[in-house]
Amino acid sequence: MKIRKKYLFYVLAFSSSIIAALISGIDAILNLYLKNPLVIGLSVFFMGVIISFLLTLFLSINYKGKSLGARTIDPTFKRIRLIKRQEIKYQLLSGAGNAILTIGYFALLVIIKDPSIVLPFSQVAILYLVIIEAVSEKDAPTLVEIQSSIIVTFGAILGSISLSGELSLEALVIVFLVINPGWVLLSVNQRKLKMMKIENKSNDALNIRLWNVIIACLFTSIFVLIYDYFQGTDNLFQAVLASFNYLGWLALIATGVFFSFIFYIRALGIGKASVTQAVKASVIIFIIPVSIILASFGIISPISTDPVLILIKVMGIVLMLLGIISFAITLTKAYVFIKMKPGYQIEETMQKLWDIKGVNRVCAVTGDYDFIIKIRTRTLVKGYERILRKLETIEAIKNYRWQSVLKDWEDI
Amino acid sequence: MINAYILIHVKTGPSDKVIKEMRKIENIRKISIIAGDYDIIIRVEVKSLDKLLKVTNKIQMIEGVIKTTTHIIEKEIAL
Repeated sequence: MKIRKKYLFYVLAFSSSIIAALISGIDAILNLYLKNPLVIGLSVFFMGVIISFLLTLFLSINYKGKSLGARTIDPTFKRIRLIKRQEIKYQLLSGAGNAILTIGYFALLVIIKDPSIVLPFSQVAILYLVIIEAVSEKDAPTLVEIQSSIIVTFGAILGSISLSGELSLEALVIVFLVINPGWVLLSVNQRKLKMMKIENKSNDALNIRLWNVIIACLFTSIFVLIYDYFQGTDNLFQAVLASFNYLGWLALIATGVFFSFIFYIRALGIGKASVTQAVKASVIIFIIPVSIILASFGIISPISTDPVLILIKVMGIVLMLLGIISFAITLTKAYVFIKMKPGYQIEETMQKLWDIKGVNRVCAVTGDYDFIIKIRTRTLVKGYERILRKLETIEAIKNYRWQSVLKDWEDI
Repeated sequence: MINAYILIHVKTGPSDKVIKEMRKIENIRKISIIAGDYDIIIRVEVKSLDKLLKVTNKIQMIEGVIKTTTHIIEKEIAL
């Protein structure tokens, strides 16, 4: 089936958010029984490894020439496999990110309790990502991206304002120095992994997730072990015990997180990490009904009905939606068909084209033209100034034709 | 695996019908409507040149398609 690529991206990111919102509801319930963030975090990882392994194994079953996973959630998935050498560095970094983030998240949940207040602050990661991408990715952020990211972030913070849950200094430190850097480490490296070619094919989200959770579990176990040794506590043992005692809840969380991440990683393969994160910030909206249900069962403190507070929350949500929409409608794509002068090296010219910021695909082709390159830019002005003017300085180029993409569809 | 771009000229008229037909063809990974010398560019992923011929044949059979030019990808760098 071919659908518009933009839609696919939003379907993936929103699905990931909806599942994440449901999961945080279950997290809050589990939080009633387990108070220690190290114990919850580690037991979630223990179960995460088992569930991710079983699900990936099940989805590897071949049915009429294609695996069940490829037929249902990720077309690039073939079968469960070992980690590849080229993946190790990025998996170690994203595993560390996941471990830091999870422990931080549960520590915050213990302090604040209501997930609808905890989650919004995790969205500040968008800003961190925009800054990092400006340095590391080939496409520097435009004004629209910076504006939208700020709007989404502030929207998320406004949407989370609550009279019942006061933010302590401790909570803010956890948010800004633990959770958000953890998210950035996780998402930047998962994007790198998704973009990687494994045996000449696109890397699949299922194996990326499986190995991420294994490595994150390993890191967390080592950390807890060292912590236990110096503090004289028995968190590791407690986590193993909790895995058996709360098997049902943990398995539910692990299954949800698995699917939420599969969709998230696939979305990362399409959009930049910051943009994906901005769309995923919609979790703030989806968490509201979950919080209302939790409050009605007395699991978290009742939700305030103060009109001013409700107004602020609505403003926050509207801001977030505006930010997400402006991300969506301001992307311009184009193909440029290029002819080369004789007497120049093809591979050298290819590299020169690739070095231009905003060019995200360079193909050497047979036929009327020598190269077809693909461009993504937020504005046409930037397309001219940053891309065409650079293109014109490459001596080997005889002429080129710019073809703006009006609409496109992609096989999913 | 052979990857190729096919550049297509179509008759002036309802382009959505041409696109609708193209979306049914297997092995087409991406379809883009473009503004410029050509009207549509599609990306094809096939196992052999024989299969590529089948895809181009199917495209040429669509009413409204005037001309196709196939560019086989020899080397690619992508994000």
